Amino acid sequence: MTTAPRLEMTEVVKTFGPVRALDAVSLQVGAREVHGLLGGNGAGKTTLMNVLFGLYRADSGAVRIDGREVTITSPRDAIELGVGMVHQTFLQVDTYTVVENVVLGTTLEGGSHGAGLSAARARIADISERFGLHVDPDAVMEELPVGIRQRVEIIKALYRGASVLILDEPTTNLTPQEVDALFTSLRTMVAEGMSVILITHKIRETLAVCDKMTVMRDGARVQTLDRAETDADHLAAIMVGESHGTYQAPTVTEAVALGTAPQGTVVGDVPETTFEPGVSVRGMTVRNDHDVELISGFDLEVGKGEIVGFAGVAGNGQVELAETLAGVRPLQSGSITIDDLVLSDRATAQWLDAGVAYVPEDRHRDGILPTSGITENLLLGSHRSARVRKSGLIDWRAARQRAQEAIEKFAIRADSPATRAGDLSGGNIQRVILARAFAHRPRLLVLHNPTRGLDIGSTRFVYEQIREVTAAGCSVVVISEDLDEVIAIADRVIALYQGSQAGEWRSDRVDPYEIGRRMTGLGTSVGGAA
Amino acid sequence: MSTVEQTPPTPGSGGPPSAPAPRGHGSGAVTGVAWTVLPYVASVVLAFLVGGLLIQAMGYSAVDALEAVLTSSFDSRFGMVETLHKWVPIVLCAYAFAIPLATGKFNIGAEGQLLLGATGGAAIGITFSDLPAVLLLPAMLVAGVLAGALWAGIAAVLLVRFRVNEVLSTVLLNFVSFRLIDWVATSVWPDAGAGHPATTPVGDGARLPLIGEAPGLHSGVLLVLALAVFIAVGMRFTPTGFEMRAVGDNPRASLINGVKTSRLAGAGLVIGGGAAGLAGAIDVAGVQGRMLEGMQSNFLILGIIVGLMARGSMLALPFIAFGIAVLEFGAGTMQLVASVPVEMVLVIEALILLFLLLSDIVRNRLRGAA
Repeated sequence: MTTAPRLEMTEVVKTFGPVRALDAVSLQVGAREVHGLLGGNGAGKTTLMNVLFGLYRADSGAVRIDGREVTITSPRDAIELGVGMVHQTFLQVDTYTVVENVVLGTTLEGGSHGAGLSAARARIADISERFGLHVDPDAVMEELPVGIRQRVEIIKALYRGASVLILDEPTTNLTPQEVDALFTSLRTMVAEGMSVILITHKIRETLAVCDKMTVMRDGARVQTLDRAETDADHLAAIMVGESHGTYQAPTVTEAVALGTAPQGTVVGDVPETTFEPGVSVRGMTVRNDHDVELISGFDLEVGKGEIVGFAGVAGNGQVELAETLAGVRPLQSGSITIDDLVLSDRATAQWLDAGVAYVPEDRHRDGILPTSGITENLLLGSHRSARVRKSGLIDWRAARQRAQEAIEKFAIRADSPATRAGDLSGGNIQRVILARAFAHRPRLLVLHNPTRGLDIGSTRFVYEQIREVTAAGCSVVVISEDLDEVIAIADRVIALYQGSQAGEWRSDRVDPYEIGRRMTGLGTSVGGAA
Repeated sequence: MSTVEQTPPTPGSGGPPSAPAPRGHGSGAVTGVAWTVLPYVASVVLAFLVGGLLIQAMGYSAVDALEAVLTSSFDSRFGMVETLHKWVPIVLCAYAFAIPLATGKFNIGAEGQLLLGATGGAAIGITFSDLPAVLLLPAMLVAGVLAGALWAGIAAVLLVRFRVNEVLSTVLLNFVSFRLIDWVATSVWPDAGAGHPATTPVGDGARLPLIGEAPGLHSGVLLVLALAVFIAVGMRFTPTGFEMRAVGDNPRASLINGVKTSRLAGAGLVIGGGAAGLAGAIDVAGVQGRMLEGMQSNFLILGIIVGLMARGSMLALPFIAFGIAVLEFGAGTMQLVASVPVEMVLVIEALILLFLLLSDIVRNRLRGAA
């Protein structure tokens, strides 16, 4: 065809203060095309799409839709031009039904509210039928799992007439079955003439669903490729970049980070090892924030140097499990011991002293003191230890010295130890939290979604650090929504469903689909997608 | 689960103004200090400008009025002594607000705590009026601190045990304290000849020694000066001070890292109450010589203004309090000289605070654009 591409972005530049987030990026997406936008975190993928969706205003550059130059200054403009976007976090009203959430913010056609709603319901039913986005239009939002909530977001965009659909890391919280269903829907959409842009950092996904892919790195477009002319190793090499020296086949951890790890086969280089007993959890019962017993009669053994991974869909007791193992949330009954030292019933500070380190999921909310410097952040938790005190008072000079060492050892990108933690990027915040955790010389390390939102370099760094502490005999519990991650770094994988262990596997003998079924509450006998 | 899924809020962003992070060495430190001081200077200048326009618009001479406000503290020894005597309760009530604020709690009860401190001090000073100063004076000051701490302690217990909002409890305890001191001043130790609800005078041993020629400066000023150093050092260098600031910055992260957050929040309130109580006791021992109704003046609101202006810096707080004391003393002279109502000074103080808070937004914009 000689017609103009559906979407054409030319030389888009966007700066935030001194940071050049987008450096003259160009992108072409045709009709009937799933276009993968690939790159690590901070590569500029989401920024580019936020420009397209009118959330950011580009400093320069042009956007053309069907050959016509357009100015998009707000999401409203974007929607009118047929651009829809599904973000990583959904803005939905929990107490509304699916239909109500979809029509929220649109003008209902047809006279009365009721008549308008029923017309909307018919359209929604039609959309979900056509694209295989099955959802009950009258279901109340808060009762739906993440995968369905995402479908609602997609339907919302389609309902508003999107012909270019942007999906930002849509598979993060999905089971393998849900990912398959999503990709089938995407293929149906492009078959009907739509365009889809898929923001992702996982190579396997792009290869599975995309027709073309654009790789971004450091705010610039590196290359655009056809699906046919590339493979996983090739893409990985482009993503990591030549700057890292001559390209070598990715290690296991890198393969995970890049999402190229083959599934259902031997993944890890895990030898058949038995571990010395380390951490022991017996009959643990835990309540959630609403005083509901979420975890009961929970037993767990984690050996010295062993990594146990918990896979599960968010909201199945991960937060409660992590906080309890870290000594933050009290046990209602049962016990937790490390080397026969009983920790349950003790104050959090004593858990820290005993070598329990916790890397929480929500780095901003639970991890840092945002308006304090790196020095203060690294001191937190060990501020009562004798190492940092001189005649009873805090020795700030020594604390700064330690912070400076941590900045170097953990490659934290910051001007000085006085840099406010809240001003750091996500990856650097995580490095600060890890530096603090490792300063406790952990005997038990609890990590919750430790690499979410991190770029490849930081992800690799986290894995290296985990391996380092296990080599020193530390017991590690990794709780993650990223199934690939759990499989690749853990020695044992446990599926978590509604606060219980729904299955356990040696990580070199797992079938991800089987885990996917178990972590959504399905038994072994059920086959096929959920 | 939350009603609407959102990106996680950044703790501290919506909370109280917080301390600027300590700066490193080199050129960064210079610009850092400039960024910290500049908003204060700009806010004061702007507030005086707007205040001056208001005074002019009301038909008075802005130049005369503002000159009186700014210079009368420094014109005479009397002015300086009176200013410092005002500084004492202002700075202590500012601590009463700022120390709990460091842990993220709002103590709006400084006037009640001050009155209780004054009552506690007066009770000792009257009951044991024959004791020598070496015994009586310390006993009465300690009684003042304890009474203030105890009064705030009610709010602290309600907070830690029953999760009662401390804003509510501290404000309401103010009203209770008014009734309480009314009863003390009219029924327990009433001074019938005073013509105003007041207790009988405390013994001579309960009076703070005066320094220098008349009008003498009471030695409570020196005591508070020493306390200011102690607090600044304590907040910066003791583990407990560090924990308080950590809790104020992010209570969740502090909790996870082993800080007993609710206990600290309660402790902050009690310490704050103690500071306000000391203000009351010193006012009895140094200025009034007795406990009388209305001695809380507007120290509650001034303490809050100073506490907010200090933005968590216990080092800056006494200096800011001195600036406010100058304005407060100058207010009287202004009314005398330019017949502008004293309340105008409160307007200017409020404007300074307002501009200072606005400067945060301006500064963030400038930094973002730089």
